[in-house]
Amino acid sequence: MKMTRREFVKNNAIAATATAAGVTIPGIKDVLAASEDKIRWDKAPCRFCGTGCSVLVGTQSGKIVATQGDPDAPVNRGLNCIKGYFLSKIMYGKDRLTKPLLRKTDGKYDKEGEFEEVSWDEAFDIMALKWKEALKNDMAANKGKPADKITSTVGMFGSGQWTIFEGYAASKLMKAGFRSNHIDPNARHCMASAVGAFIRGFGSDEPMGCYDDLEHADAFVLWGSNMAEMHPILWTRITDTRLTKKDSEVHVLSTFKHRSFDLADNGMVFTPQTDMVILNYIANYIIQNKAYNKSFMDKHVNFKKTTTDIGYGLRPEHELEKKRTGTGGKLSGISFDEYAKSVEEYTLEYASKLSGVPEKNLLRLAKLYAHPTKKITSLWTMGFNQHTRGVWTNGLMYNVHLLTGKISQPGNGPFSLTGQPSACGTAREVGTFSHRLPADYVVKKKAHRDFAEKIWELPEGTIPGKPGYHAVLQNRMLKDSKLNVYWVMCNNNVQAAANLNEETMPGYRNPDNFIVTSDPYPTVTAIASDLILPTAMWTEKEGAYGNAERRTQFWRQQVAAPGEAKSDLWQLMEFAKRFKMEEVWPADLLAKSPQYKGKTLFNVLFENGQVDKFKKQTVMDDRGNKYQNDEMEDFGFYAQKGLFEEYRRFQLEGVKKGHEQAPFDVYHKTRGLRWPVVDGKETLWRYAEGYDPYVKKGEGFKFYGKPDGRANIITAPYEVAAESPDEEYDLWLSTGRVLEHWHSGSMTRRVPELYRAFPDAVVFMHPEDAKARGLRRGLTAKIISRRGEVECQVETRGRNRPPKGLVFVPWFDAGRLINKVTLDATDPLSKETDYKKCAIKIEKA
Amino acid sequence: MSKYNICSVLVHAKQDMIDSVKAILESQQGVEVHAKSDEGRLIVTVEDEYRKQIGERIMGFYEIDGVLSASMIYQFSDDEFNEQETIELQSTEERMSA
Repeated sequence: MKMTRREFVKNNAIAATATAAGVTIPGIKDVLAASEDKIRWDKAPCRFCGTGCSVLVGTQSGKIVATQGDPDAPVNRGLNCIKGYFLSKIMYGKDRLTKPLLRKTDGKYDKEGEFEEVSWDEAFDIMALKWKEALKNDMAANKGKPADKITSTVGMFGSGQWTIFEGYAASKLMKAGFRSNHIDPNARHCMASAVGAFIRGFGSDEPMGCYDDLEHADAFVLWGSNMAEMHPILWTRITDTRLTKKDSEVHVLSTFKHRSFDLADNGMVFTPQTDMVILNYIANYIIQNKAYNKSFMDKHVNFKKTTTDIGYGLRPEHELEKKRTGTGGKLSGISFDEYAKSVEEYTLEYASKLSGVPEKNLLRLAKLYAHPTKKITSLWTMGFNQHTRGVWTNGLMYNVHLLTGKISQPGNGPFSLTGQPSACGTAREVGTFSHRLPADYVVKKKAHRDFAEKIWELPEGTIPGKPGYHAVLQNRMLKDSKLNVYWVMCNNNVQAAANLNEETMPGYRNPDNFIVTSDPYPTVTAIASDLILPTAMWTEKEGAYGNAERRTQFWRQQVAAPGEAKSDLWQLMEFAKRFKMEEVWPADLLAKSPQYKGKTLFNVLFENGQVDKFKKQTVMDDRGNKYQNDEMEDFGFYAQKGLFEEYRRFQLEGVKKGHEQAPFDVYHKTRGLRWPVVDGKETLWRYAEGYDPYVKKGEGFKFYGKPDGRANIITAPYEVAAESPDEEYDLWLSTGRVLEHWHSGSMTRRVPELYRAFPDAVVFMHPEDAKARGLRRGLTAKIISRRGEVECQVETRGRNRPPKGLVFVPWFDAGRLINKVTLDATDPLSKETDYKKCAIKIEKA
Repeated sequence: MSKYNICSVLVHAKQDMIDSVKAILESQQGVEVHAKSDEGRLIVTVEDEYRKQIGERIMGFYEIDGVLSASMIYQFSDDEFNEQETIELQSTEERMSA
């Protein structure tokens, strides 16, 4: 058979799409050129969102030349969104960093100096010098203090985009090495509220269901999630179900109309913060109509109430914090009747009045949840999580599913979606938060610290017992000179954190502090730092991510990083070589493990017989292709494998069950597995008999994260947002993403095709709101809050249609930093910032 | 030799609007619809000599009334493409059995 080259390429394009769509096209066949294909193909999870699509990565002459949706991947079945489609280009931006850069004047480090290229040796020399000064101060301050009292001036801000190995190594370096819990991931900004609610409700983090729910469900409800743009591949799966399944329906709730409304059978725009009212109304409706599942509740549920009026996570001297009457998240037991009474005031009329959603729409939604047989999957992302009552609101959603028993079953369940590729796998499972240890263990419990110290072979009392500074607090502590040496890795927090002018920038430029940022590109954060370390990214290193459905996926290194760029893993481990144990631990601690005297931190943490257990070897796929592994080359052992196998001991040897992952080598052979992996089998629905190996026959359900096996229904009232519009600042501001760009745009804005598709941030607003301010589409608006201002063009058409009184601005644009305007109010429980609500005014620029 | 750039897209459209979506897509330069299914799926290719515009063009599909999603499947681009060159082919089965 012969074809012209053009026909051949086109034929392949059509064939691949027809296969993915399950459509047969006459005359189109899956054909290959008879000549040897020079491109080497291998799988890797996508670098962007939490969906965890698998892509095929095509490498030729040491460069990634093509990517393609992986047809064998259960997550995306050959599909790609536009970002995944151009994935191969993120590594080849023109301004890629290839050498360390240090601020200098006259050949010497100077915080006010200009960036100059330096060697890795010089970079680590100055960094180690600054770290040792801080550690010396810490040791003096902590003299004689027990583990649960010690403090630190050493901090690290990490990432839900770190590989599992990197997050694990970073956590160990900080908590065990530098004895500081001031390590937090940027996942704090996106998933902390979800985590808090999972722990309070179920005693174990992460969703019970999986993406298979997207085909099993009869109805989908989106709460504060614009999946059409933020999780487009999952949205395509929902679209397919909606179009092919009889009587299926889609409900969409948001504070403004967006693309997901195009598929909605019941679209609802509500006043910000009143999602809490709507959720309590649904619970009330279910109770009033006796639509609850009594036998499920009797066997598997406890009822609780939470402390209320808990403030907004602002600085203690803030007016709002002085006014609050409650603190923290203490739960106390109540009866079903008391619970029913607590939601009684949330009637249809009241919910409609507060939310602004017509009664008929709310009633249709309530009837759906109350339906005896319809299978419902509820989905949410930042609308619930970036919320000053985020933990409560996530919990109110669980209440609805627990009342009806619509949980942990195919198609039935609450599903918290994730924003980052490994917010689950790295930030949450490895536990790179300031209060966590690997596999759901926490620093404040002595038994948990003891367990970690046993696995890490550390003397008792090494790991500090006080939770460290969380993300928002880190910026405040940098400003207040309580945190003095700070390493930012794999994120762009100057652009991402709220209240840039008042809280972020002052801390970075504080003369008391030394700030290091590791990044592939000169981001806003890198430029605000004192030392920039050039970083290998994505398939320039071997890696592993864990997605929103508990699926762990691995990839092999495909290409070398440019210039002197090195992976975060290499940087963390290599930096540990710069410290003698005597410089990081006090003499009394070291005396408990005299064998560590005179050793380096690298020896103790990474050459401990576990991390270095697997000797240098050739990485090969099952087709005989060989792959490089630069860390193995440099350290002489298979660091990724050693770190992962040491990490697995937390899952296998502790008291907490249900987090088990498979051995390292298994993941290189699969398209990922959903944990817990028990006897080689993954788990699709947790807590349910027949699906979860930890639920015995006859038990039906068992929420085994809790000692009594029961989940918590936790009542919480509607409380107002931290800052609502008033006469002067008369509009709500919501921020978020657009399909074409991912997060701060540091990668996607460097892909010309994506840049052109959405070049600059705009302010989406109602045409009448624009007109009232002398503005119209295309003119420049000034967006002003009590904290700062930013200018961008007005958009009154297109994908987002806010109601009057609210505007939406995406945050990807480094030239229009919307976080100068936002407020750093957080959920006091999860410490996650509410990026969806603050008050602004708009003027003509 | 010439520039050649093609990508294929799976478009989901509202079932009752699939014909109008198809017609609008086909009216665009370089766009072909190769198949449609009753469930609302369209198999689309976009050929364009200006590679950098392809992102805008596909994102533009979302602006068409009735389009619910657009997923990218396959992409090829070459700045020095010999489109008349003939090549010998094998089907996948032939290759596997070879």
